[in-house]
Amino acid sequence: MPRNRFRNALVTAALMAGLVTAVGAQQNVKVSHTSLKPGDTAPDFTLLDNHWKQVHLSDYRGKKNVVLAFYVLAFTEG
Amino acid sequence: MAKLDASDAIVFGISIDSPAANNAFAEKIGVTFPLLSDMNRKVLKQYGILKMYNVEKEEYDWAQRTTFVVDKNGVIQSVEEEASAINPNSAIAVCTKLPKK
Repeated sequence: MPRNRFRNALVTAALMAGLVTAVGAQQNVKVSHTSLKPGDTAPDFTLLDNHWKQVHLSDYRGKKNVVLAFYVLAFTEG
Repeated sequence: MAKLDASDAIVFGISIDSPAANNAFAEKIGVTFPLLSDMNRKVLKQYGILKMYNVEKEEYDWAQRTTFVVDKNGVIQSVEEEASAINPNSAIAVCTKLPKK
């Protein structure tokens, strides 16, 4: 019995090691979580819109609420 | 989006695509709000949302899906990342609660 228990422990350890490796292998996508949080000032920016016209975030200060929706790539599900 | 107009908000989509690609994309999906090009990834770095994607063993820095709601004082009211950033309902809810004037 003790030998069986030892073997079971080994199997469990091996399975867990495998699991850790598998999880590790999926970590090849490095996620950078933003450090910005509610209450912080949104950094100002100047970007070109889809008609090559400059847009400054600061232009909307005092005028409009702004939703900034960052997406991965055009023409994808992202 | 009509809900957002009512809450006195403007929406900007932002990605690393060129204005030309974004314009074709806007026409294809019929969005009426501007799509902005962060071609040098300056804003992605400023906002801390550069994410590394692997495609065929090569690495690419693109945006992490994130939605920020910024009020009229330039203050961030909400931050949503990844899956929760896809559904615009909570961003709309945040906007509708913000003061109109």
